[in-house]
Amino acid sequence: MLSNFLSNYRSVAGLIFVVLAIVLVEFFEVRTSVYPSLLPFFEWLKYSSWIGYLGITYGSIYATIQAVHLISMAIIGGTVLVTDLRLLGVLLKDIPSETITKGTHQCFKYSLSVAIATGIFCAAGVADKVYYMSVFWIKMLALLVGSCFMFFIKQPLLNSRSHSEIDPWILRILAVASITIWFTVAATGRWIGFS
Amino acid sequence: MINELLLQFAQYLEAQEYSQMLVSGYYSWNWLEATHVLTLMISIGSLFIIDFRMLGWVLPGVSATTIADRLHKPMIIGFVIMFITGILLVYAKPVENVQSLWFRIKMILLVLAFINAWVFNSRMRAADGTWESARVAPKALRTGAIISLSLWCGVVAMGRFIPYDWVDCPKVSNTALLWASGCVEQLNAL
Repeated sequence: MLSNFLSNYRSVAGLIFVVLAIVLVEFFEVRTSVYPSLLPFFEWLKYSSWIGYLGITYGSIYATIQAVHLISMAIIGGTVLVTDLRLLGVLLKDIPSETITKGTHQCFKYSLSVAIATGIFCAAGVADKVYYMSVFWIKMLALLVGSCFMFFIKQPLLNSRSHSEIDPWILRILAVASITIWFTVAATGRWIGFS
Repeated sequence: MINELLLQFAQYLEAQEYSQMLVSGYYSWNWLEATHVLTLMISIGSLFIIDFRMLGWVLPGVSATTIADRLHKPMIIGFVIMFITGILLVYAKPVENVQSLWFRIKMILLVLAFINAWVFNSRMRAADGTWESARVAPKALRTGAIISLSLWCGVVAMGRFIPYDWVDCPKVSNTALLWASGCVEQLNAL
């Protein structure tokens, strides 16, 4: 009976598990005890790794990778806006939302991979600084939430059935949540530069 | 001559109260710059989706002109916000920008990108509709899309380079570079 229940509500059960895990991590102060042990890794990333070396030594390479990071974020923004504004019924109303969702997801995945790879390079060059910035950790959390939301909640739900069979309010909530999360990722990223 | 005129105009702008207010206010500058960069997601995000569709990389099952037509409005809104914030950013630090090689290259690339967009748009409207449902656009439009992608990547990269000081006037000794960057004082001292 339990397995039957879990198979029907796998996504919901997964979400409850993640929320419960976060609560437990905070309750047992796991996060605060893990945080100091991450400092040696960040110091190694800046001073001993080859990406840290490249970032510190060659400013032009660092700036070029930053530009690639910005472009990949712009493409992520483009795919997210096109998909979510279609779900909200603002853009491309005459094209089925299923077509838009499927047609842009591959591009989103490639852009996200490039953004993460270039983001690691950018963080490595200033690893000893970003370690102490709360806005950096908020960005990492938002990125994690955004990726999990996209790959474990939004895409599985949108691909599971025709969108006409899904409650329109669920679609709207999905779209607004998605825009909000990815905007937070981009905005916190920009704010790292000001901190 | 042109460099002297540009510098004089920049110095006139920099002496204005509003220019100093924009640059001295911590939040005004940060909000302007953040808005300028974040609007990339609307303007360049939409533009790249259109260009990618021409190349058959996204939404190959949807008519290319439909995508271009429907994304035109959000793209223009994004570009208008970018231009307003961009002008204000230049107004806040006019001398620094006028004497920046990267800013100058960025402006040239912007002009080229708009000429390309105009040519691309004219070609798209002139082309017959037979290719609309094809996976990729005709060669002329694909070329236009690749040029557009390259030029806008260049614009973003140059914008990113502006804060770096590798070729700032006091660091350059090459005459051609000094002229290209508009370093009037350094050129006069030679």
